[in-house]
Amino acid sequence: MHILATEGLTKRFPTVTALDSLTVGVGPGVTGLVGANGAGKSTLIKIMLGLLPPSSGTARVLDLDVGTQGERIRRLVGYMPEHECLPPDVSATEFVVHLARMSGLPRTAARERAADVLRHVGLAEERYRPIGGYSTGMKQRVKLAQALAHDPKLIFLDEPTNGLDPRGRDEMLHLIRRIGTEFGISVLVTSHLLGELERVCDHVIVIDGGRLLRSSAITEFTQATQSVTVEVEEGTEPLAERLLAAGLKVSRHGRTLLVGVTGPQTFDAIRDAAVDLDLCLIRLEQARHRIEDVFREEEAGV
Amino acid sequence: MSEIYDIGYRHYEGPRLGRGHSARALAVHSLRGIFGLGRPARSKIMPFLLATIMVLPAVVSIAMMALIQQRAMSYSSFAVVMQAVVAIFLASQAPTAVAPDLRHRVLPLYLSRPVSVPEYIAAKVSAMTVAVFAIVAVPLTIMYVGELLIDLPGPPSTEEYLGAMAMALVLALLVSTFGLALASLTPRRGLGVASVMAVYLLTLAAVPIVYATLTSMGEDAAARWAWLLNPFWLVDALQVSLFGTTPNSEGGYPAGPAPALIVLALLALAIGVLTARYRKAAAQ
Repeated sequence: MHILATEGLTKRFPTVTALDSLTVGVGPGVTGLVGANGAGKSTLIKIMLGLLPPSSGTARVLDLDVGTQGERIRRLVGYMPEHECLPPDVSATEFVVHLARMSGLPRTAARERAADVLRHVGLAEERYRPIGGYSTGMKQRVKLAQALAHDPKLIFLDEPTNGLDPRGRDEMLHLIRRIGTEFGISVLVTSHLLGELERVCDHVIVIDGGRLLRSSAITEFTQATQSVTVEVEEGTEPLAERLLAAGLKVSRHGRTLLVGVTGPQTFDAIRDAAVDLDLCLIRLEQARHRIEDVFREEEAGV
Repeated sequence: MSEIYDIGYRHYEGPRLGRGHSARALAVHSLRGIFGLGRPARSKIMPFLLATIMVLPAVVSIAMMALIQQRAMSYSSFAVVMQAVVAIFLASQAPTAVAPDLRHRVLPLYLSRPVSVPEYIAAKVSAMTVAVFAIVAVPLTIMYVGELLIDLPGPPSTEEYLGAMAMALVLALLVSTFGLALASLTPRRGLGVASVMAVYLLTLAAVPIVYATLTSMGEDAAARWAWLLNPFWLVDALQVSLFGTTPNSEGGYPAGPAPALIVLALLALAIGVLTARYRKAAAQ
């Protein structure tokens, strides 16, 4: 079953084409939407919410047509925008209760739901204070809470980890994973960072310039992007030569080497090479894939 | 903090109400915001100070009725006499109703919910109208209750009171839509306050200048039209034509349906501006 499906979806603005005959389907669970700035991610979400009419093509969300059933869709989905969207002078509790009521919940139900979701996103006593005094991490939690307030079937999260420190990022990703699994709410989450999405998504869609670049299960992605970053104190050059000679795929990225992994023996080969050359191995880690890597691979025809 | 998360998620199975419910919830939320309720204490100072100033003449009037059996002020003249206070209330609070949603970009959160742009505007206009109506109607009602209790000689002026209440509603609707339309043009609250105040002062200053110029030229009939440049005298002119009250202007108002038509035209203009403004904001 498709939670979300588009067919030849095109959106033209006076000066740019934001979406170019995009045909894609999304199933239940957590789906990542990856693309550079201006790739059309936010435009796609706005069309899905029924806020922006497509120039041509069709889109269905929860089996409802975005053109004619926008109001019913907005009743059943939640939306967390990328930008700041919180008034500073009200408390998180008052704000989330208000937005739950705006989604159609009666007053008492809205209060209960607001208390529930604020607890789930991890806001404790501070929820009674005005939002203006919150840290970025706390604001992101309030933004997420308002999207969950009315118990939607599907939520759109636009860059939810933007501006968070590493710990806040981990907590946010953990929460997104829980929303998709435990809460049973389907999630469409956008990001610049593929590595981040690898940790929480079941499926990843990559778009660029409004076109679909790739749509596949996360398992296929990680197989295709198995590589490790190797950093040594000095002697990067001899190490690269040694690894190439051993038949490994090596590319240079500044001070580091990116080595394709063919199996556990690859790690042994890197370790042995470093020992043989008497190098000081600083880092050996699973490569964090950036969206650019996928583009490079796509262009190379991988 | 992770132990806080470990309470199971509960789905919501209850009713999901229609757009009317959402629009009402938005109107009530905005009305609370206009009076600073549920906001920090400093947001309450201005609206409650101005509301208190509005009540003072009513208290004085009751005292005069009780002591010297005389009215200090008629119901039909209250809004015109107190116009500066009403205008300051409008200028200081109309931006509170619209600017934060634009400035802090809360609007997308509303529009990603069932409520539509016209309903959003209607909710904001209703909230502001109720607020302005309240600060005019409450002192009028206090005066009326005082008059009934004191029992002045002759019958109570119930008709004039009800007429003044009806006109207070028309006035509230007119100045609220206009105030919101002006305030919504800028996301900055201070700029909104300044622009509403500037437009009000312009209409206030224009009246005597135009009136004096035309009178000195001997154009007395034309001079009467000058009063209609200011919303408070415009609504008073409507009151005179509907209820036959004493005009609160020098020389009276032009006869005929002109005041009613001007009120309608101004309302249409302000609603048009609001609609265009929010259609544009929604598309961004």
